[in-house]
Amino acid sequence: MSKKLHLLVVFALLIGLVGAFAQPATAQQPVKELTILWAEWDPAVYLAELMKDYEKEAGVKVTVKQEPWGSFLDVVSKEWAAKGTAFDLVVGDSQWLGQAATQGHYVELTDFLKETGLADSVTAATLTYYAEYPTGSGRYWAFPTEGDANGWAYRKDLFEDPDEKAAFKEKYGYELDVPKTWAQLMDIAKFFTRPEENLYGVAIYTQKDYDAITMGVQNVMFSYGADWKDANNNVLGVVNSPEAIAAVEFYRELWTCCAPPGSSNIFFPEVNNYFISGQIAMGMNYFAFFPALANPATNPYADVTGYFAMPAGPTGLRFAALGGQGMSINAYLPPERIEAAKELIKWFGREDVQMKWALLGGYTCNKKVLASPEFLEVAPYNAAFAETMEMVKDFWNVPVYADLLEVAQRELHAYIVGGEGDAKTCMDKIAQEHDKILRAAGLIKEPAKSE
Amino acid sequence: MTATTALQAEKVTPRHRVRRISDKTIQTAFILPTMVLLILWNIFPLFYSLYLSFTEYSVISGAPPRWVGFENYRNVLSDPLIWKYFALTGRFALLSVGLQTIIGFAMAMIVRAKFRGSGFITTLILIPMMLSPVVVGKFWAMIYNPTFGPLNYLLGMPPPRGPDWLANPEFALWSVVLVDVWMWSPFVMLLCLSGLKAIPEYLYEAAAIDRASAWFQFWRITLPQVAPLLMIAILFRTIEAFKQFDVVMGLTGGGPGDATELIAVKLYRIAFLGRFDTGIASAFAYIVLIIIIAISNLYIRYLNRLRGEA
Amino acid sequence: MAKFEEVGPHAPITESIRVDLVHPRARLGVTIRAVVAVVIVAIMLFPVIWLALTMVKTRPDAVAVPPKFIPYFPEGLLSDWCMVPQLNKDGTPKLGKDGQPVLKERDVCFDVTLEGIVGLFFERRTLTPAQQKQYMESPEFGWADRILLRRGLVITGPSEFVDRFRNSLIIAGTSTVLAVTFGLLAAYAFSRFDIQGKPDFLFFILSTRMLPPVVVTIPIFLMYRQLGIYDTHIGMILLYTVFNLSLSVWLLKGFLDEIPKEYEEAALVDGYSRMQAFRKVVLPQAATGIAATTVFCLIFAWNEYAFSLMLTSDVARTMPPSIASTQGAGGIEWAIIATASMLFLIPVVVITFALRQHLLRGVTFGAIRQ
Repeated sequence: MSKKLHLLVVFALLIGLVGAFAQPATAQQPVKELTILWAEWDPAVYLAELMKDYEKEAGVKVTVKQEPWGSFLDVVSKEWAAKGTAFDLVVGDSQWLGQAATQGHYVELTDFLKETGLADSVTAATLTYYAEYPTGSGRYWAFPTEGDANGWAYRKDLFEDPDEKAAFKEKYGYELDVPKTWAQLMDIAKFFTRPEENLYGVAIYTQKDYDAITMGVQNVMFSYGADWKDANNNVLGVVNSPEAIAAVEFYRELWTCCAPPGSSNIFFPEVNNYFISGQIAMGMNYFAFFPALANPATNPYADVTGYFAMPAGPTGLRFAALGGQGMSINAYLPPERIEAAKELIKWFGREDVQMKWALLGGYTCNKKVLASPEFLEVAPYNAAFAETMEMVKDFWNVPVYADLLEVAQRELHAYIVGGEGDAKTCMDKIAQEHDKILRAAGLIKEPAKSE
Repeated sequence: MTATTALQAEKVTPRHRVRRISDKTIQTAFILPTMVLLILWNIFPLFYSLYLSFTEYSVISGAPPRWVGFENYRNVLSDPLIWKYFALTGRFALLSVGLQTIIGFAMAMIVRAKFRGSGFITTLILIPMMLSPVVVGKFWAMIYNPTFGPLNYLLGMPPPRGPDWLANPEFALWSVVLVDVWMWSPFVMLLCLSGLKAIPEYLYEAAAIDRASAWFQFWRITLPQVAPLLMIAILFRTIEAFKQFDVVMGLTGGGPGDATELIAVKLYRIAFLGRFDTGIASAFAYIVLIIIIAISNLYIRYLNRLRGEA
Repeated sequence: MAKFEEVGPHAPITESIRVDLVHPRARLGVTIRAVVAVVIVAIMLFPVIWLALTMVKTRPDAVAVPPKFIPYFPEGLLSDWCMVPQLNKDGTPKLGKDGQPVLKERDVCFDVTLEGIVGLFFERRTLTPAQQKQYMESPEFGWADRILLRRGLVITGPSEFVDRFRNSLIIAGTSTVLAVTFGLLAAYAFSRFDIQGKPDFLFFILSTRMLPPVVVTIPIFLMYRQLGIYDTHIGMILLYTVFNLSLSVWLLKGFLDEIPKEYEEAALVDGYSRMQAFRKVVLPQAATGIAATTVFCLIFAWNEYAFSLMLTSDVARTMPPSIASTQGAGGIEWAIIATASMLFLIPVVVITFALRQHLLRGVTFGAIRQ
């Protein structure tokens, strides 16, 4: 056999193999099934449960595909890259809105949400943060699905112990209770930090990977009156304002004084672990992860676990960092599937369905359901949740949010956990780099002020 | 004809009935599947990302790539942080491959002797590298944890005394190195062992008769015999060290700050995690590739010298 | 001694006849080595043992402080040692209402639970306490359901574990066979023939392993979609074959180089064809190399994460992307992750043990190599 012949044979074999396994093109048929992609967690399981009703009512089988949080965005982005249709709907993070809207990955839902009245059925804050881009434009790209924000879980047995109460009063001069301000939270955290008893004041987010430590810090930052930007998107003098610097200093002090050892790279599962193992008096976490703490089988302290909303800053401002997701439609679908997806959202947004969603354990964004007594009573943390949803605030959601996030993550982690430099240097660096990124992206138009 | 030729003929005939395939054909046929597969699978990704490295492009944006020449390369190379991460990765590679070589070799020297159950024990030592790197990262993070992890207890430093390995900028890199060494020393060990077992006893016998010192035996007999396979082990471990990702991500996520931000982690941050700067990531990857090629070349030259090839 | 007459490709000398090695001092040396080897195994395997212990821990036990080392069965194995009388402040045993001493668990003990193992095989949903109580009373649930019900979980269906495990077996297994076969052929050619531009070929082969996977996943993903082999077994098999070829070629060439050419040349002179010489002389000699390469290729294909994540979704997804992800209700399900990891370890361990004889025999004729 000649060399060329060999080559040909191998090529033919390969092409044959490839061809044999290629997928045939699918013909157009009435839509009988839909796929929703979401992260792998409890709310997605609840959604899958809820969707069984849709199959009964509308005859459309809905699959809720779950992808681990760590690779959720990777998997979504690969579909975006290929303009793929592996999922019909995606329950995406609020931060993705900018990219998805400007790059055309989501179907615009403005008219649909207005016509169906769904836009008015959810709270204003959730509509702004989970659906609208650009902020204030009145254009919507998602239906607010899972409301979420940071809150606190605490150990009632410690807080209500008469001996502890007396000792606390003697030391700090006021009653030991759920903290009303960050300063009180610090006192309480210090009070309960007793390494010899293996008890620590708090567990707070410190993970570096994606967004955790920034989410944790901004709870304090917002309440201190600081922000990531002013009305004109300026960051210099805003991100490194004295309030922001004080807030970051506070976070570092809280972590150094009162967080358990080993909590240097932690996010929601780890905070719950510390709580479950009885090592902490208070734990910061997203409300979506509190069901595990209310379950006596996973948390030995479930009966004595209480929940509270974010405390206030020095001037009385209160904010909570936003989590949560809205449901969007994949823009690369054929028209009949887009229609089917819209039908699904219309059904999902119905008040009775939303009530069922809430009772299953989903965090509805529906105004009426949130205010209903059934919702407030169904779980011990729901009251704190309803309170929190009135004061949520978020990080950037512009297309370059990830660049901004990367800088914030790196510098905050280096200062708070690594102890490098001081808070001012840290925030100055973030402000300068954010300024650079935003200018490059054309989001800051006015010329740089000379400082 | 003499008897010998008759005998030979009888021996050869059955085989001669089959048409002999020439060495040249065998050579081609043997190499072809490998080369074809490698070329087919690499040519597109390689050239596509090479092209993208000269463009401003985000793979998810839907906008076509925009040619920017060497700008991405300039940006990457002028970023002082990137150099810091290269230096860090170099340190990581040096420490972890160095330790793996020493420990792997030492383990091979210990288990080369035959004793009851030596085969079983050797196989057990191989288990760490069989674990999934993602799990290794997660579980070692748990083992390192100063309160609920077992390590500090076993070291006799229960909380609050023991160090927080992964939070401390001093220890973090070493902690990652330790896990890598734990996982991959067996790889080096197994290859060394193959080399060691190949050393014929008579060489040592000759050395023993000459009353050569143990040191001499090691340098002149053991090491040279093991070196070629050992070098291949080191070569592959070095390449892998530059790609180290899963374990670091599970352990530290690159932290504290950026104390363990190896280039593979940084690359992931640029290419994915919401940024999707495909153009810059491609340029960065090519710079990494060039560095790995340079290092590999040094190794291979040394390897060839060991083998006496040109 | 028969050994000397049989020296040839099939009968390596494996035993020493040296007097100095049977000397008591040498024997002692071997004993010391054995002890050191056992210590090394203990250290190397500790994390694996920790994984195994975690398999049978409840979620609170997995993160208990101090960590728990000793498993026990209530009313069974080790429970006598693990349950100790609770003491009053004055040091006397605390007595319960029935006059019996009240027992408590030692800090280091945990009772064995199967919830991680059951949890791995089923999809679960968290129940509210009221639902949990109601479900517990219902007789229609089997033992597996009850284990999870105690955790406040209800089984909603089988998990994808079995499917993905099977995918891993098919994909990693086939690709390993292909990579080793092709690799062996190429390695033989590179080792034995004077090929023009050999160093360049070899370097090209090596370089295919150098580019970080992060950058090539997306191009390969786009390519696979175009070819229609995205999320197919064949696509993953070929990809992993390609991924492992560089290691396979280089490693096998390293081993083949150790086998002296003289043996084949002798066989060729004897009238063997090249193919026969390859099959009958080289292959048996290369057994160690083939075994080692098989194990390494299998390990890499078995545990590969990034490509599997990006190039598969439902049909051909392998285990690694899902092992670490079994995060349950607001936390890490350590027991499930540990169980998945341990089960996932078994095939590789079994194959390594099966190949043990070849793996550890060593290359036999290295010395004649110059």
